[in-house]
Amino acid sequence: MPLYESTYITRQDISSQEVEKLADAYTKVIGELNGQVKKIEQWGLRDLAYPIKKCTKGYYTFMGIDAPIEAINEMERKIKLNEDIIRCFTVRVEEIEENPSPLIAPDDSGDEIVIGGKEDRVERVTTEEGAE
Amino acid sequence: MREQDSGAEVSKKSFFKRRSKGCPLSEPGAPKVDYKNPKLLLRFVSERGRMLPRRITYISAKKQRELKIAIKRARNLALLPFVDN
Repeated sequence: MPLYESTYITRQDISSQEVEKLADAYTKVIGELNGQVKKIEQWGLRDLAYPIKKCTKGYYTFMGIDAPIEAINEMERKIKLNEDIIRCFTVRVEEIEENPSPLIAPDDSGDEIVIGGKEDRVERVTTEEGAE
Repeated sequence: MREQDSGAEVSKKSFFKRRSKGCPLSEPGAPKVDYKNPKLLLRFVSERGRMLPRRITYISAKKQRELKIAIKRARNLALLPFVDN
């Protein structure tokens, strides 16, 4: 079955327990349609880069799913009906990484990346070590 | 003859101040380009949220294409801004 990564953003004014309940509910939806949720991550309350439906913060939930497209469609339909969810986004992927996403990975060791030539730019930046 | 040529090139190099070569994302051990990593993507975006051109970042064409997709996905999820004033 194809693999998908699905992320949705929940409004800020519901409790985090409700967010987890929602995740369980969607896991069930997938399960009923012969799918399997391989990975669930709560990215927690994050600032949005721009307001969505007048919300400036939201709870992010990430799911790695192995399921037929019918299950994904059904889940997305349910997500769109839910008014507490302000954004949802699903992509098909080749593989679901086992490591936690860079967003919640605690390791922050700085790998230096110099953008632009060394001589004419002093802009030095650090990035996280890759997952691999 | 050859040596002369290379010698001329070296002086040219120092004259034009050769920039550091190579794509920082193609090196071994470089972080993976991923829409879930806004911290990394932010390096390749201007202060106002637009993508930086390759001639400034020295990213390889392949990685630039990956970045393009990752940045657009991250914008969808409000991890990166479309415009930022």
